[in-house]
Amino acid sequence: MQREQLELLKRIQALEFTAIEFNLYLDTHPGDQRAFMDFVNTVRELEQQKEIYTRNYGPLIVDDTARQPCWNWIDDPWPWEIEY
Amino acid sequence: MWIYEKKLQYPAKVGKTDLRMAKYLVTQYGGPDGELSAALRYLNQRYSMPTNVTKAILTDIGTEEMAHLEIIATLVYKLTKDASPEEMERAGLGGHYADHDNALYYVDATGNPWTATYIQAKGDPVADLHEDMAAEEKARATYQWLIDLTDDPDLIDTLNFLRVREIVHFQRFGEALDLVQEYQNSKHIF
Amino acid sequence: MNDMNPIMLRLAQAYVPFQTYVNRWDPTKGLMMGTIFPELYRPYYGRDRRRG
Repeated sequence: MQREQLELLKRIQALEFTAIEFNLYLDTHPGDQRAFMDFVNTVRELEQQKEIYTRNYGPLIVDDTARQPCWNWIDDPWPWEIEY
Repeated sequence: MWIYEKKLQYPAKVGKTDLRMAKYLVTQYGGPDGELSAALRYLNQRYSMPTNVTKAILTDIGTEEMAHLEIIATLVYKLTKDASPEEMERAGLGGHYADHDNALYYVDATGNPWTATYIQAKGDPVADLHEDMAAEEKARATYQWLIDLTDDPDLIDTLNFLRVREIVHFQRFGEALDLVQEYQNSKHIF
Repeated sequence: MNDMNPIMLRLAQAYVPFQTYVNRWDPTKGLMMGTIFPELYRPYYGRDRRRG
């Protein structure tokens, strides 16, 4: 995996992790509007980065493949094969 | 339902092939306090939870545990990559090789297969949340003992990530417990 | 405990203090630490340090 792709993947991992952290916090604090806004902003940036990733490197979820030129869902590397 | 995302939650890596550590680490794959136990315990307890907060937190933490299961699998895969039968035998994995070759399997550090007796669903939300909080503490302790068993900084890095997740999950289950107790006390269920 | 809390806590049940969201680490640091909430981070220094 090329350095650029790896860096973008790590950025996506960091943003998605942040979204999960707000997700769990909000489950027990559903009335915290500030945390909710931070969740919304995190997910917005995450979606943008995922869009760039899938356009350049391939699908992250199977439905992304509908915007790919061919069935490249099966292409390697699979997650456990990536060297970070 | 669930949708698979073709990426790990954390960029898990190891510094070197290490069959000895793989043999210990596999307990977080198929051992009593491992990630499979955690995921199946939480996702199965959802159905008898009385409040939306507890239904949500068990769903979301249970789902995150599936991502952790994949991280552990990746670490074991990388630690055992390209190992020969002789090397496996020297690391005490000759029995594993006979039954599974280099494949992963849901066992603990001494080879005992995963069993549903590792988890419970009592149907009482307070009892079940106490089990979940204890499970997080046991998993945290297991990650600490695993960190003590290796000097691979890359492996320690990922184990530390997983260890801190247990602490965060404990906090969330604790908050959910407070809310469930408040709910039950307000309804006079004893 | 009751001195610290104006509310009389019911006996024979466990409590975990509720987190209040004040600050957070940025996504990269959060992923590295295992949480985005600084107050939930607990380092582990290893068995030797724990006993020493």
